[in-house]
Amino acid sequence: MVDANMKFLVVDDFSTMRRIVRNLLKELGFTNIVEAEDGLDALSKLKVGDIQFVVSDWNMPNMTGIELLRAIRKDPTLKHLPVLMVTAEAKKENIIEAAQAGASGYIVKPFTAATMDEKLKKIFQNMTK
Amino acid sequence: MSTHDSDDLEALFDSIVSAQQSALSADTGADSDLDACPTCENSDKVFNKIGQLTRTLHDSLRELGLDKNLESVASSIPDACDRLSYVAAMTQQAAERVLNATDAAGPLVEKIQGDAQQLSTDWQSLFDGNLKVDQFKQLVTRTHAYLTGVQKQTKAINTFLMDIVMAQDFQDLTGQVIKKTLDVTQDMERQLVSLLMESAPVVPHPNDDGLLNGPVVAPGGRNDIVTSQDQVDDLLASLGF
Repeated sequence: MVDANMKFLVVDDFSTMRRIVRNLLKELGFTNIVEAEDGLDALSKLKVGDIQFVVSDWNMPNMTGIELLRAIRKDPTLKHLPVLMVTAEAKKENIIEAAQAGASGYIVKPFTAATMDEKLKKIFQNMTK
Repeated sequence: MSTHDSDDLEALFDSIVSAQQSALSADTGADSDLDACPTCENSDKVFNKIGQLTRTLHDSLRELGLDKNLESVASSIPDACDRLSYVAAMTQQAAERVLNATDAAGPLVEKIQGDAQQLSTDWQSLFDGNLKVDQFKQLVTRTHAYLTGVQKQTKAINTFLMDIVMAQDFQDLTGQVIKKTLDVTQDMERQLVSLLMESAPVVPHPNDDGLLNGPVVAPGGRNDIVTSQDQVDDLLASLGF
């Protein structure tokens, strides 16, 4: 069973989107959530530690989601973290790029609560394997 | 005396004439031409001149490469229109979702409130000692039913609230699209300004944004993109992820 206290980091440059993801996670039973407005902000929050799951947008200023993903996978203390990409980027190229960079899941905006639920469950399954 | 005077006058006259001549020669040839022919021939010359100017402007635009830039700006306008239609569609959809949700939740809230008011009145009469045993039993049953109902109704209302929250996802998508359209507008403005100033050529901006394209606003006829989450999942599965 997944720990309901699992700490999420929601990374998006739009506060509305962060609120939506936060609400969705709350709806799914996760209330321990921190937010970051771009990749750099996210990295500095990740370095503090104790974050267990990253949900990230792609297109952000300063540091994009794919750059963040690569940085996480390169860092020995962070590389095990699940990273779910939630983005408006819908080119096949993007999806392949993200998968190759080590994304744990890819959701295209606009998305539904059911999609979010399904992807999270799938990632949790893989985590416990 | 008189001849001396007239000599002086003549010298003065000569000096005035020569001063005027030098002033005239400083003017453009065209002006003196125009002075020379004051009637309808003027307009022909003006038209010729405008024609020549237009030609020169056209040639220099070409030389500066501005015509190509204008062409690319012109071709980005339909794209900007697509983007704005996308914004209009997304915002309309969001507005409808919110209104539908509030329309659906409204009656539920009213029912909860109305029933509570009725029960409260009845309980007040009990406290005032105005209720018979039968009526009291009935009140207890109704109160219990109400409490059960409220749980169901609030759950339904919560679903509508969630729907309202989800309807706000347009803001992120339209924000990105509007930003792109603003870029096009600024580009256009810049190019028009440089056209007006006939200044140095503007560096053309690349069309391909690589992996930072934002939401797909016109998916028709493209096969390099996905249009649903299912397609994302299929693609990932086909790659073994």
